Amino acid sequence: MSVTAIFNIAQSALFTHSRSLDVVAHNIANVNTPGYSRQNALLVTNDPVTSGGLMLGQGVNADQVLRSTNEFVEQQLLSQNADLASFEEMEKFARVLESIFSENQDTSLSTRLSDFWNLWQDVANNPAGLSERRALCENTVMLCDQFNALRSDLSQLRRDITNALSSGVDHVNALTQEIADLNAQIVRIEASEPANDLRDQRDQKLNALGEYLDIKTFEQENGAVDVITVKGCILVQRNAYYEMRTGGLSGEKIEWLGSDGAGVDLSAHIDTGRIGGWLEMRDEKIKQYQLELDELSRALIWSVNSQHSQGVGSDLFAPGTVLSGAYKTTGDLSDLAFGGQIQFTGNAFKLWIEDRSDPANPVISAVDIDLSGLNSGSSLSDLAAAVNTQIAAAGLAGVSADGSGAVLTLTADGSHAFGFSDDASGMLAALGLNTFFIGGDADTITLNPLLENEALVAAGLIDSAVGAYYDGDNTNALAMAELQHQSLSIPRWACNRRTGDTSMTTSTTIETYYHTLVGSMGTHSAGITRNRQFKEAMCTQIGALRDGISAVSLDEEMADMIQFQHAYTAAGKLITTADEMLETVLGLK
Amino acid sequence: MRVANKVFFDAVKFNLGTITERMAAANEVVSSGKKLNSLSDDPVGLLQALNVKSTIAGIQQQTRNITMAQSWVSGAESALTQAQNIVSESRALAVQMATATVSENERTAAVDMVQGMLDEMVTLANAEVGGRYVFAGTATAETPFAGDGAYQGSPTAYAVRISRSSNLDIGTVGSAVFGDVFNSLAALRDSLAGNDVSGIQDVLGDLGDDFEHLSAQITKIGLKAKRLDMRTQIIQELKIGNLERLSEIEDADYAEAVMNLKSTEMAYQAALTSSAKVTQMSLANFI
Repeated sequence: MSVTAIFNIAQSALFTHSRSLDVVAHNIANVNTPGYSRQNALLVTNDPVTSGGLMLGQGVNADQVLRSTNEFVEQQLLSQNADLASFEEMEKFARVLESIFSENQDTSLSTRLSDFWNLWQDVANNPAGLSERRALCENTVMLCDQFNALRSDLSQLRRDITNALSSGVDHVNALTQEIADLNAQIVRIEASEPANDLRDQRDQKLNALGEYLDIKTFEQENGAVDVITVKGCILVQRNAYYEMRTGGLSGEKIEWLGSDGAGVDLSAHIDTGRIGGWLEMRDEKIKQYQLELDELSRALIWSVNSQHSQGVGSDLFAPGTVLSGAYKTTGDLSDLAFGGQIQFTGNAFKLWIEDRSDPANPVISAVDIDLSGLNSGSSLSDLAAAVNTQIAAAGLAGVSADGSGAVLTLTADGSHAFGFSDDASGMLAALGLNTFFIGGDADTITLNPLLENEALVAAGLIDSAVGAYYDGDNTNALAMAELQHQSLSIPRWACNRRTGDTSMTTSTTIETYYHTLVGSMGTHSAGITRNRQFKEAMCTQIGALRDGISAVSLDEEMADMIQFQHAYTAAGKLITTADEMLETVLGLK
Repeated sequence: MRVANKVFFDAVKFNLGTITERMAAANEVVSSGKKLNSLSDDPVGLLQALNVKSTIAGIQQQTRNITMAQSWVSGAESALTQAQNIVSESRALAVQMATATVSENERTAAVDMVQGMLDEMVTLANAEVGGRYVFAGTATAETPFAGDGAYQGSPTAYAVRISRSSNLDIGTVGSAVFGDVFNSLAALRDSLAGNDVSGIQDVLGDLGDDFEHLSAQITKIGLKAKRLDMRTQIIQELKIGNLERLSEIEDADYAEAVMNLKSTEMAYQAALTSSAKVTQMSLANFI
């Protein structure tokens, strides 16, 4: 009996060590597989038996194959990778923003703005000269083009992010489905033994999912992993998975699709991962820049128009002119683009009417338009009626107002010319009469098309006392140049997905506001790059830690290989020896 | 501590990646000559640079404005000086014509001379610089004085911006500048024509006042010219100061940038060499 016992023991040794070599071979083969955890065969002695009063061991058995992992380090790596993915995505878009707003070319908005003010001074130096006026108008066209281009580039970036979100959501759904499948397989296999390679695959998928959005994982006793995301929404539960989708008017929201078919809006809550990075870029930063660009253009339009509409060009508006306002309203005066800025005061503005029936002796008189009888609820026709009544009350004729359409129109007959001055109400600028710009935000800001006739650039002012106006007068142009350094009240915005968008009014000049906008863009971008570099270093460190525990070291496997090979050889020798012993016994007779 | 093969290779990739990122940034600084290549390079410096650029553009504009102002002021000054000379001559003539020894015929002959002086005065008062009238106030495109000396220009002076916060009147209101000079000359002419000696003596007093008035105007203009010269100097210095400041913020110090590039290149070489060595070693070579 003892000799056959040796055979059994030697046999167990041969099998076990060849299996151990199998595991070593598997490790060596998978040295470069991403996410692979090295496996070890657990060698356990067989149960001993009593034989002849002695407890004798029965050899060795490879009980289980275990993988080397550390749950804590894996969780750390998951969360750091999520942050890194978020910053990498934000950095890409920050780079694009930087190149859009780059200050290295002469076409940057700040150069154009400073040229704008300087060209007004050139007009002030030679108000009667057409070439200075033309240069001003051409520069203004380029300035407005730049505003339009910046605004539309920002909108395009937001659309690009929305597209990226859509494909990100598709990836997330594919991953959750795969994780659920793996869960089902692992639960089945782990009824009997550890499912090492499947667990590695599942960890890979969980890492990939974690790179997209915030997730928390919980392992159940049966080996399945439940995955939940923000607001407690379940993504994977054992072998069931729940999808996400894009919702909202143009697919801009991220929603979780529950089993009852209703969507839960998660856009404000996802903080890390690519989706978190995209949402933060689109809904907080780029939105803020869009809003601030609009505020800047509104401040420019209003301050320039307010001053310009009070001035006069080379001549009054000629007899026969039909001057239409540039701003429309479908209802009240408060619906005009700048309707909120109108003050309904007594001495609102002066409308000058010059009787040119005798061309050698023109007679100019003023109508002091009084708006105190109107309010923001009045309509254009109310305004036109008030203006016409007051013109008649002043004993003048030749100019009539018409408010029946969407804009206010002033018409001069064949022998009367007209002009404006002293607008304390802002009404002229709000209606778009004699204004320099038209449009209400960065998308729509343009040079007033009427200024193709450069003579209409209002470089001069009509004298309030006597109604005198001169072709070489530069008083209004000087006033325009002074706007460069005037402190205006322009709101700054802060956008937060959770608490909403808030604005805070600051008192600053137009150029300073833009410089601060660009500076804050640069600061934000530098911050993202720093964060990305830091997270990269963190991930490399923790990755090294994790690999120290779980990755394959070829040297170690080589050493193990030799170790098991020797054991196998020795076991073989055992069989040879036992064979010789048996022969000796059999050869006894 | 266990160090798996993967750890070596990952470290190699990460470190080489970091060094090449630094090399790319150093290279950009050297090839563009600027420290600020993108908005994130130095956001605070960027803000300052933008403000300084705007200031420099403003200074260049002011220089243009001042050059124009100087030509107007010198044109006005020379016109007024000549006008003062005419007043001087007319006084001398009036003194002569007021003496009893002069005959009526001589006085009649002097009328043309005085008319000539009046016409010359009107021409001086309608002086132009660059096609625009310097004594017309803001009505620079229209002749300010009619043939008889009546003022038809604007009551407001024509100004240009010479600094961020101040404008300078360079197109003065002609009626205030020339005062009663035309009336005085017309009165002299009429008195001569009417052989009115006491009238001539009255005009002499007026012409004296006109002379003083023009002196005061010439002094005023002289002060303006001086102010413009001072301003030009100040602006030159401001411009140089601002350009220096801009360069400090924006421009790369070539020596420093090239040294940086070289040292990053060296670090890259060293990393490459050590990575190559480390990744070659393995137990498999020895078994």
